Amino acid sequence: MSITIDGKELEFTPGQTVYEVAKANGIYIPVLCHHEQLKPVGACRVCVVEVEKARSLVASCAMPAENGMIVYTNTERVLQARKLAVELLMTQGHHNCITCENSGDCVLQDLAYSLGIEAPRFSEPKEIKALEQANEMIVRDMNKCVLCGLCVRACNEIQVNQVLDYTGRGPTAAVGPAFGNLYENSDCVFCGECVRICPVGALFEKQGRFQGRADDLDKVRTTCAYCGVGCQMDVNVKNGKIVKITTPREDAPAPNFGSLCIKGRFGYDFEGHADRLTTPLIRKDGELKEASWDEAILYVAEKLNAIKKNSGPDAVAGFSSARCTNEENYLFQKFLRAVIGTNNVDHCARL
Amino acid sequence: MKVFRAHILVCGGTGCRATGSEGVLQSIVQELAAKGISDEVAVVETGCNGFCAAGPIMVIYPEGTFYQYVKKEDVAEIIEEHIIKGRPVQRLMYKEPVTEKPIPHMLDIPFFGKQMLIALKNRGLIDAEKIDEYIARDGYMAAAKALTEMTPDDVIDEMKKSGLRGRGGGGFPTGMKWSFARKAQGDVKYILCNADEGDPGAFMDRSVLEADPHAVLEGMIIGGYTIGANKGYIYCRAEYPLAIKRLNLAIEQAKEYGLLGENILGSGYSLDIEVYQGAGAFVCGEETALMNSIEGKRGMPRPRPPFPANKGLWQKPSVLNNVETYANVAQIILKGGDWYASIGTERSKGTKVFALTGAVNNVGLVEVPMGTPIGDIIFDIGGGIPGGKKYKAAQLGGPSGGCIPASGLNTLTDYEEIIKLGAIMGSGGLIVMDEDTCMVDTARFFMEFCQEESCGKCTPCREGTKRMLEILERICHGEGKDGDIELLQELAATIKDSALCGLGQTAPNPVLSTIRYFRDEYEAHIYDKRCPAAVCSALFKSPCQHACPIEMDVPAYIALIRAGRLDDAYKVMKRTNPFSGSCGRVCPQFCANKCRRGQLDDPMAINWLKRYIADNALKAKVEAVPVTRKEKVAIIGAGPGGLTAAQDLAKRGYKVTVFEELPYAGGMMRYAIPEYRLPRDVIAEEVADIAALGVEIKTNTRVGKDISFDKIRADYDVTIIACGAHKSWTLDIEGEDLKGVWGAVEFLRAVNLGTDVHVGSKVAIVGGGNSAIDAARTAVRLGAKDVTVLYRRERKDMPAWEPEIVAAEHEGVKIEYLVTPTRLVGKDGKLTGVVCQRMRLGEFDRSGRRKAVPIEGSEYTLSIDTIVPAISQSADTTFIPAESDVKKDKWGGIEIVAKTKTKTTAEGVYIIGDAATGPATVVEAIAMGHKVAGDVDGNIRKKNGEPAYVAPAQEKIKIPFEVDEEVIESPKAEMPELAVATRIASFTEVELGYTKEIAYKEACRCLRCDGEIE
Repeated sequence: MSITIDGKELEFTPGQTVYEVAKANGIYIPVLCHHEQLKPVGACRVCVVEVEKARSLVASCAMPAENGMIVYTNTERVLQARKLAVELLMTQGHHNCITCENSGDCVLQDLAYSLGIEAPRFSEPKEIKALEQANEMIVRDMNKCVLCGLCVRACNEIQVNQVLDYTGRGPTAAVGPAFGNLYENSDCVFCGECVRICPVGALFEKQGRFQGRADDLDKVRTTCAYCGVGCQMDVNVKNGKIVKITTPREDAPAPNFGSLCIKGRFGYDFEGHADRLTTPLIRKDGELKEASWDEAILYVAEKLNAIKKNSGPDAVAGFSSARCTNEENYLFQKFLRAVIGTNNVDHCARL
Repeated sequence: MKVFRAHILVCGGTGCRATGSEGVLQSIVQELAAKGISDEVAVVETGCNGFCAAGPIMVIYPEGTFYQYVKKEDVAEIIEEHIIKGRPVQRLMYKEPVTEKPIPHMLDIPFFGKQMLIALKNRGLIDAEKIDEYIARDGYMAAAKALTEMTPDDVIDEMKKSGLRGRGGGGFPTGMKWSFARKAQGDVKYILCNADEGDPGAFMDRSVLEADPHAVLEGMIIGGYTIGANKGYIYCRAEYPLAIKRLNLAIEQAKEYGLLGENILGSGYSLDIEVYQGAGAFVCGEETALMNSIEGKRGMPRPRPPFPANKGLWQKPSVLNNVETYANVAQIILKGGDWYASIGTERSKGTKVFALTGAVNNVGLVEVPMGTPIGDIIFDIGGGIPGGKKYKAAQLGGPSGGCIPASGLNTLTDYEEIIKLGAIMGSGGLIVMDEDTCMVDTARFFMEFCQEESCGKCTPCREGTKRMLEILERICHGEGKDGDIELLQELAATIKDSALCGLGQTAPNPVLSTIRYFRDEYEAHIYDKRCPAAVCSALFKSPCQHACPIEMDVPAYIALIRAGRLDDAYKVMKRTNPFSGSCGRVCPQFCANKCRRGQLDDPMAINWLKRYIADNALKAKVEAVPVTRKEKVAIIGAGPGGLTAAQDLAKRGYKVTVFEELPYAGGMMRYAIPEYRLPRDVIAEEVADIAALGVEIKTNTRVGKDISFDKIRADYDVTIIACGAHKSWTLDIEGEDLKGVWGAVEFLRAVNLGTDVHVGSKVAIVGGGNSAIDAARTAVRLGAKDVTVLYRRERKDMPAWEPEIVAAEHEGVKIEYLVTPTRLVGKDGKLTGVVCQRMRLGEFDRSGRRKAVPIEGSEYTLSIDTIVPAISQSADTTFIPAESDVKKDKWGGIEIVAKTKTKTTAEGVYIIGDAATGPATVVEAIAMGHKVAGDVDGNIRKKNGEPAYVAPAQEKIKIPFEVDEEVIESPKAEMPELAVATRIASFTEVELGYTKEIAYKEACRCLRCDGEIE
């Protein structure tokens, strides 16, 4: 099975879309509403290509490759449609890149720049919508929404929370929870999947606002410490301070493939908190005193040994945490069984 | 079975119900009971009869008598007269529009006679709520045949043979669609019916569902059997409650009869059909959005492929057809595909149902064979345009379609032919628009519809239609700018090419098609800030003023009549019109044509009020304007155009000399319009006012004879040619050199010069314009006993002003329609007769009128003494030397530099009036006079580097705003006129003018559209 894209004959496996075949072969087709983890919808029309014998342009993201298909990705006709789509999206609302959180990490900005749209010919709407920012985690700036529907699909297809959908028609079309509710008044669990997948600056992290943008931040890939799943995430650091937690929009690694939970994505303020424990503490004379790790471990070992000696191993029980990895949990039960000699071991996630 | 001696069928479609058919039905039942004949006469409530405009409709069988506009109060008379005494009630019958002759039988009415019913075969004949009546008309025979005698492949073969194409608008071959779904793998398949009819102005599907729901079910059963579906849905919009009710009833009855449900007719095939109500989104008529909607999801289209035949409803193979498509299926199966394919054109077979609506006399539902010209549907079946207005365009295909201008009326109803015009067949909405429709506003309307109904999914449709609407709104508000048309076209092309579904891909069509055919209207809005149809109210104070070529402030002077301030009223008129007394008598009133009062009863009698002011106001003496400029202007011709230019230029300080060949000034107005319409003293008085400004008018001076054209150009800085059109066209037939043959203008001029003209006793006039009628009425006054106007088309096509035609008829003038002279015969060089040929109406010409086509062998001879061809006239420009730099165009007229409208090819030489435009009106000549004065002055100042002219401040005249609280219907005040016997004896003015009382009463009718809400 083969398909010709821009004069190159390319092999494909049935089920692949034209966009996927092109991408796999290094042919660039821009996309906006498309995402590798989501079913294609062909909404934004940025990825349109010309297919021989087709009546009109087709969305390459949603068009299955067919044997013998001849595709052009870069003709005048294609570029005109692509440019107009971007031009229309640029003026759909208010895209103020100067103070936008996502400047430098925005699909629309990249498209407008790479397509060379100097200034859109249409005026922006008169209405400016107020930011939705009552909750502590997610800000929605619907002035920047391009209605790509990625948040809707991420919510429904990846997280299956089914909180977001379209409302309204035509000029009043919008995305959001049912009945125009705010996130906090809906079934939203604040996983932040919508924030991750938003290609523009319509959805962003509240705590990170005005703290730094793509170019100012160092991304440190790490494993989430909240539980044992081992979610991969990027800690965005500026001047040694955590600004926000993100996950890659695309090519996100296992095991979480870009998804996080409310704690992983938004629960990072403990890191520099004044109340955070930084050393072990041992209670002496009724008061907790700072101690070294060696001191603390020795202290615990002495206590355990004493209990085991005086009351037998079954006087000791171990309760492990879901925040530990599998390996740590294995070691923990081994320790209790083999070292202490008891089967009194359990784990918070067992129930 | 019970037998009745008569059946009274009352239409119970939504249209007739809206006009009160339910009450009529009740009254009939009561009346029959009261007369004790309930068991003799059956009363049936049928589905939509189709002739919705004439509802409530009643048809009485066995005679088939058709009654229209039946009211409850008429029922007693119908029962008493028709049913009991056997005397049909003439006053309720349909009347032939021209002769007003009642037509008793339904099928003799052109609206019905020219239709061919297949999909609508049971309309108006059966009670849609009784399955037995459907069965009695061969209902379910086709389903029985398909299920018991045919294999699914046989059905597909028959469908393919029939050539039936999807009637929803796409036109995809139905047989092919079914075969794809039949071949598709899947244990569960669906048969779906699209009854989400949403186009503005379309009501075909509703009427079919209301009139014949079983026909749709039967089509679905056959389709379901063919593809192997056991479940069907009819997606019907919730706004059609009667259709839904009748469908559900039909499903229930069909199930009861074993025609639906398990094991239909013992064939082993089962099908369950359910009605699914749509919530009113236009996009849900798009097949994938419709399926999403049935699935309980938001009605948004999905990308194709996969196509519904493979993955449709719930990702299962599905077939979706339109209501009308299904309504055709049973007939195809019963009578065979070949029969169906024998109707229509090569690529479009069978019939098509149209919902005929808008500015057309017979609004209703029509079914015609494919290949019927669009014009036949509008003019023969539809009965043409109401109120004598002109056809402008018809929108075909609703918001996804395009308009068909007059030049497209011969187009056949054929999918491909219609696409060539830039429209689409669509589901069959045919909205007729007359001259009072603004095409930019129409485009704006459809664009507003599309942008509101866009689902919001894809960018081009959601955002693009919004931008197109913005531009159109700007244009309609007078804020259009250069480049808007091109931007609209660019947006349209890209949206069409890149939108996701059919809604977006077709949304720009109305804009493209109106630009294609009515670009001049867009340009008028953008550049001249004018709306030629006087619709876009942001562009004007009042429609009458906007429609007037010189924008006379009509509401102001009418208000001043009401206030009794005639002198001020005259001043207001004089600001724009130096000939208001003359115009008040002869103007064809572009203003009244757009008068909003006309939508209520009659338009205002604007001309007569104008005349009343001009005749009765006290007029201030005109003072001479000192000459302040060195440039001198010569004007050739002292008609309304030339004199208006002279007036304006004199006021601007120019020395103006007017050269006039004839003894008196007034031009065509003085020498082509008879005195009984426009008395000479009226013209003389108005001319005198212009002369008083300091304009020199040299009469009896023919340029080219008494003074050469080149001498004038040498002596004057500017020359304006305003010589009128004083040369009649000839008929170009044998015998025109005979004595007794006069050109109309030459004839009228001779009479107006006071020449002793002998016409004999029998006179024929050729033509249908104002000159023809003028010549005819003049001939009557010259003593002709027998005056006949020969016109090659029909009365409604005559360009002459209707009141003039009527007056001529009163004076004994006969008019023969559909006839043309082919030869003049004479004896001894003297005319004795004209050989005429009868014509019939053929195809439509570019103006939207039917062409007259000669009927072979229909010649006859009319014996006459005089014939006056009045078919048109042109300017006599022989005074311009052949070698002049004032160039002629290829038709022999003077070439006008493009876009200037007044400049000739020679520097400093301008041309206006009838000489420039061909025969037109006084007011248009005045308008050109104003324009050329501005052009001349502007060009001189520009050349000299002087600032533009600033008109001196006008006297402030306060216009009262007094309107009646309540508008009471009252027709236009009649014009008192001389009795026929008196008037034909002389050239005395026929119309006597309004009295003060009449004028006041008429002035009070004005709705004051110029009023602004503060």
